[in-house]
Amino acid sequence: MDPALFAQHLLNGVMLGVIYALVAVGFTLFFGVLDVIKFSHGDVVMLGAFTALATSIAASAAGLSSPVILAAMLLAAIVGMALVGMLMARYLVLPLRNAPTLNVLLVTLMAGTVIREGVRLFYPQGSNPKPFPRLLPTGAFEFGAFTLRHDSIVLLVLGVGAIVFVHLLIVRTRLGLAIRAVAQDPETASAMGIPFRGTVLATFAIGSALAALAGVVNGLYYSEVSFNMGLLLGAIGFSAAVIGGLGNVYGAILGGFVFAALQTIGAVALPFASAYKDVFAFGVVILLMAWKPGGLLAERSAERV
Amino acid sequence: MGLSLEVKNLRVGYDRADVLTDVSIVARAGEITCLLGANGAGKSTLVRAVLGLTPPREGEILLDGRSIAGLPTHRIAARGVGAIPEGRRVFPKLTVKENLRTGAYLERDGTVIARRFDEVYAIFPRLLERSNQLAGTLSGGEQAMLSIGRGLMGSPGLLVIDEPSLGLSPRFVKENFQVIRRIQSTGISVLLVEQNVHQTLDVAHRGYLLSGGRVVAEGTADELKQHPALVAAYFGGDGH
Repeated sequence: MDPALFAQHLLNGVMLGVIYALVAVGFTLFFGVLDVIKFSHGDVVMLGAFTALATSIAASAAGLSSPVILAAMLLAAIVGMALVGMLMARYLVLPLRNAPTLNVLLVTLMAGTVIREGVRLFYPQGSNPKPFPRLLPTGAFEFGAFTLRHDSIVLLVLGVGAIVFVHLLIVRTRLGLAIRAVAQDPETASAMGIPFRGTVLATFAIGSALAALAGVVNGLYYSEVSFNMGLLLGAIGFSAAVIGGLGNVYGAILGGFVFAALQTIGAVALPFASAYKDVFAFGVVILLMAWKPGGLLAERSAERV
Repeated sequence: MGLSLEVKNLRVGYDRADVLTDVSIVARAGEITCLLGANGAGKSTLVRAVLGLTPPREGEILLDGRSIAGLPTHRIAARGVGAIPEGRRVFPKLTVKENLRTGAYLERDGTVIARRFDEVYAIFPRLLERSNQLAGTLSGGEQAMLSIGRGLMGSPGLLVIDEPSLGLSPRFVKENFQVIRRIQSTGISVLLVEQNVHQTLDVAHRGYLLSGGRVVAEGTADELKQHPALVAAYFGGDGH
């Protein structure tokens, strides 16, 4: 393959991988602390993107400059979704703690539908895709046939920065220690003085803030958002988390990049029908699951006791 | 200094069945109080109630005279109750150091935490050697040390120790009892659940024998050694 084209595909794949990893980390964090799958997660990604969009419209109406608008919409989306995540944990997930896991799945699936349909019905012209403002620098570096857009660099730095931040938070901080302890043994963690509920709420805030960031990065990358964008992103994020081994943060990141690689390979290998790239990627995921049912970084069952 | 524990007329159960009916015990400040009894006698349920893991249906639990019944577990820990849970329950995917750090979760002062690390490593030098190893890869005996060390990291006033010698080799069991005595000598009150009756009564000051969810015998360690219910159950007819 032409090296410039290869580099272009690689860059696009890495960009998608970052977005998927941000979504997948949320799935895996929630599963880690509560053993639940929160199926509304993709719709929280979408709600984050729309929160950012509405904020940017308000901010540009107020005559603010692009960097300020960008900062405002990121802040609104991240803080807003962190709150949404905590509210959902507090009022939808925690009350069902002693109920069968399927009930949590059902409740969050419905909550996702409510969010999705709510945006469609109440956002002006919500059924149509919305243009997302281009707030990043528009220039590009040219390396022969390979174009490296400035906005891609900013988005990559933002996404990778967020992943590194979460890694440091989990590994280095007192809150991260609490999250890991609760994930492994909630009873013993609470006997050590770690508050169960507070730790769960913090985990949902972090995961949902990452979802918001994924939504904004996605919007800035494609310059378009729609009320149903969370469906595919949710399915991909969930797949990525499962590929990597549900409950393992690094597995989720790896899974995000694996899925993006599969999509990219699918698009390259099937140039006559690149619309089939998702079919290809999900098909390979099914094969991966048959080969490694516990995920690529599966925890040995003895370690989970 | 050590905290006293008073449990009054406690009734605890799961679902419809009561496991404990009308249990009252006292653990005096600075002493080792033991809970003896066969499997299913209700010892672990009593421990769970004290730690707030299974809230009691009736009765009082007083820590130095203040009620803790019904408080969430992490608040009971904040009152000074430390736990060395049954089965050791180390966090398998945290390192030894991180496991110990969870024990001092409520302590914010870095110098205090560093001092406690030093104290625990002084008791168990093996933990210092393995400080960066994942706890799940330790041997059973090392996990027991880690669980005890973690319980000490919180500098508790009352330490609840549930079946520390379960599954350990006789040599470790003996070391465990020495460590428990050493803990008590620093002024910490100990509530010790054990099946190992002989060695337990050698270190404990006072104790209770539970059977079928009730206290069937109580007294000082020496009194219990002579008690007919215990003699019948554990010491055999020949009184050896």
